[in-house]
Amino acid sequence: MRNTLQLTDVSTVEGQMTSIDLSTIPTPVLDMATMPWKPVTDEQRNTTACILDDVCVLNIPKPKDRAEEEALVKKFVAGMRKLFTTENNWPFLPMLETSMDYCAQCNSCSDACHLYEMSGGHEMYRPNFRSEIFRRIYKQYVKKEPFAKWRYGDMDLNWKTVVRLAELSYRCNLCRRCAQTCPIGVDNALIAREIRKLFSQELGISPRELHEKGTMHQMRVGSSTGMTPDVVKDNVEFIDEDYAEITGVGIHTPFDVKDADILLLHNAGEIMAWPENIAAFSLIFQEAGLSWTLSSKAMAYDGVNYGVFYDDAQTARIALQHMLAAKELNAKKIVIGECGHAHKVLTVIADRLIPFEYQVPRESCYVTLRDIVMSGKIKLDPARNNFPVTLHDPCNVVRLMGIVEPQREIVRKIAPLFREMPCPGVNNYCCGGGSGFAIMTRNNIEQWRGNISGRKKMQQIGEAFKECLGPETKKYICAPCSNCKGQIREILEHNDLYAKNNFAYGGIVELVVNAMTNVNPGYIKWESEE
Amino acid sequence: MTTLFYLLGYLALLGFICTAFLKIRSYLKSSPLHVRWELYPVPHEGAKSSYGGSFMEEKDWWRKPRHIEHLGDIKALLFEVLVLHATFEHNLKLWFRTYPFHVGMYMLMGGIIIVFASVVLQAFGLAPDSGLLVFVGNVINAVVLLGGLCIVGGGIALIHHRKTDEGLKKYTTPEHYFNLGVFVFFGILALLAWICAPSYFVMARDFMYNMFTVNFVPLPSTFFALHLLLGFFLMIWLPMTHMGHLLMKYFTYHDIRWEDTPTTYNKETKRKIPDMLKYSASWSAEHICGNGAPKTWLEIATTNPAAPKNEA
Repeated sequence: MRNTLQLTDVSTVEGQMTSIDLSTIPTPVLDMATMPWKPVTDEQRNTTACILDDVCVLNIPKPKDRAEEEALVKKFVAGMRKLFTTENNWPFLPMLETSMDYCAQCNSCSDACHLYEMSGGHEMYRPNFRSEIFRRIYKQYVKKEPFAKWRYGDMDLNWKTVVRLAELSYRCNLCRRCAQTCPIGVDNALIAREIRKLFSQELGISPRELHEKGTMHQMRVGSSTGMTPDVVKDNVEFIDEDYAEITGVGIHTPFDVKDADILLLHNAGEIMAWPENIAAFSLIFQEAGLSWTLSSKAMAYDGVNYGVFYDDAQTARIALQHMLAAKELNAKKIVIGECGHAHKVLTVIADRLIPFEYQVPRESCYVTLRDIVMSGKIKLDPARNNFPVTLHDPCNVVRLMGIVEPQREIVRKIAPLFREMPCPGVNNYCCGGGSGFAIMTRNNIEQWRGNISGRKKMQQIGEAFKECLGPETKKYICAPCSNCKGQIREILEHNDLYAKNNFAYGGIVELVVNAMTNVNPGYIKWESEE
Repeated sequence: MTTLFYLLGYLALLGFICTAFLKIRSYLKSSPLHVRWELYPVPHEGAKSSYGGSFMEEKDWWRKPRHIEHLGDIKALLFEVLVLHATFEHNLKLWFRTYPFHVGMYMLMGGIIIVFASVVLQAFGLAPDSGLLVFVGNVINAVVLLGGLCIVGGGIALIHHRKTDEGLKKYTTPEHYFNLGVFVFFGILALLAWICAPSYFVMARDFMYNMFTVNFVPLPSTFFALHLLLGFFLMIWLPMTHMGHLLMKYFTYHDIRWEDTPTTYNKETKRKIPDMLKYSASWSAEHICGNGAPKTWLEIATTNPAAPKNEA
């Protein structure tokens, strides 16, 4: 199926369009089993339009009759028209139009995509596959260009095309590695994001984890984790107490301090899932004598902004609240914690969305930490990190912001056995959880992450440690981004790689604290030690 | 007939200028301000460019003067245009075919500029048989021969590649074959004109001089006339196709991929952001406008759709 798949199949094939044959996907260096696709249930088949492949992200209700089918197509076309107007899409229109008009169809981008490679070269995962379907629809049905079928290729537009295109926009991690290879400057990842946006902003179709449980929940209670301001303060207080005991150093995390130099913006998921990361930041900032604070204002204690993955309105709303919180506290700058997409939204995207008078300067925590580590403000003993370490480059921070060296300077200084993965820095590969996938569950999404999207990263990790893969050597995967950590954790757990390879994973602050001489040894824990 | 031919020449020139102008204007008018969408490495970041670093690696970067190494941008773009570096690195099989094709086009385009320069010199009194123009003529004749061979060879190789490569075939439309076919035919006619006349340069120079001086003299070679006719068509057609990347690559690189200027350093951006927020959006989803009237982006950004209705 993977080689015979045609672009026009999205509008012609009945039932599930394609399937990834797991016997054809590449085998990584690490001992990773494939995760069989769970079959679609009869109820799902009857009620939802899960008709693309083995995965179903959006759960779009199946149209009940012809009228509903036509209404879906009509709304889609209306949304597409809006997508190409300045009023509705001024932030992205120039990039979108150039990517629509000038692609030479050379497929140079295919080999750059980890999904294409790890699906065994499945046609659907060429970065250009969905873009080309979108282009053909646009030229034929919206722009109505003369000779469009001859010039750009024919594409029937019906409810199946619409539903499959929506799903296709969620078969991409938006890592933009493909865009890096394009000789012309076409950006297929941008097109995937614009399709997501069209569906969210016009049809109200988006993954529930990003919208209802994500941005809407964050706007409703203050954080996508569900934590209210009071709960956050309580939880952080508990973390301070727990980790004071573990480290032997008293920790106090300040909240709502006026006129502080730094407002630290964590991904609130860290508070729930990786408290050691929160404690490590507090400990380092405290010991370095920084003037800093967290905010307990709703939305401002959670740096996540899932809007950037699918919706401009949600992006702008949350980014604005982050800036306003810093303004209210009169913080001199916002330092963004270990969260890749929070870095990009607030530093790069919001830079031209939020009026300048409402902006507060933003800095990556890697830069702040580099300054602390290199300044000698905290005493560090690299011998405490005497185990092999490799560094994952979160796409949003590295390829999309050019922050490459600060984190390396830190790791080189405190981890004597540091080694790069293949393709480090701006040429990195996505962890596999990028663009919201790390937090999504249901309908084979976990299987997709294990079988396809997360496989390339594990291959890189395996290569980085190839001479010491055995369980006799403790190894640390440094992944300074919350979503990336979530994705890596899932693969390690599912394949029991903690035991087989003696891996531990975590952020960069944990590695710093592990080397601090005034802290009890052994801040980083390996399963083999527990 | 001769007059019509020359008129077509003027029309082609005008057509090229108009279509190129419209394409560029359409890009610039699509949005007075777009968000930053840079992709590293960005070559104007000085020493940091070597590994893809940016100014955001610096502590308190907004307090420091902004340095843009324009030479880095120019070098990177020239390297890309002249060597097709991205294709070489990421699609070597295609590069072996498309590079000669592009070099052929560069040679013919460069040739036109040199011939035009000779015409200007001639108009200012330099004798056609002067040493300089004879030398230029020899260069142009060599360039046209080589350029024609490259376009024909590269073009045929590209058509063959598109027809036989399973991956490319699915994405190739009739227009791709048409465009490549026209270029191959254009190159063949250039070669035939070159073979059948004592000097291609003299024909080209005389034609351009006659256009310049509005002196409609019949063309000495049928092949040369057909070659020019196809050239006229390409001048108008090219910017209307994906091959318009010839013009737009400047923007996709300089204005998108490498445009990383923070608002801190840009008065114009500071001024524009509030204006952009006055645009009215009409997105129908419940959390934006629902079925209500369009809202400005300012209203949208300052509304909380999840808040209880009386707090929204």
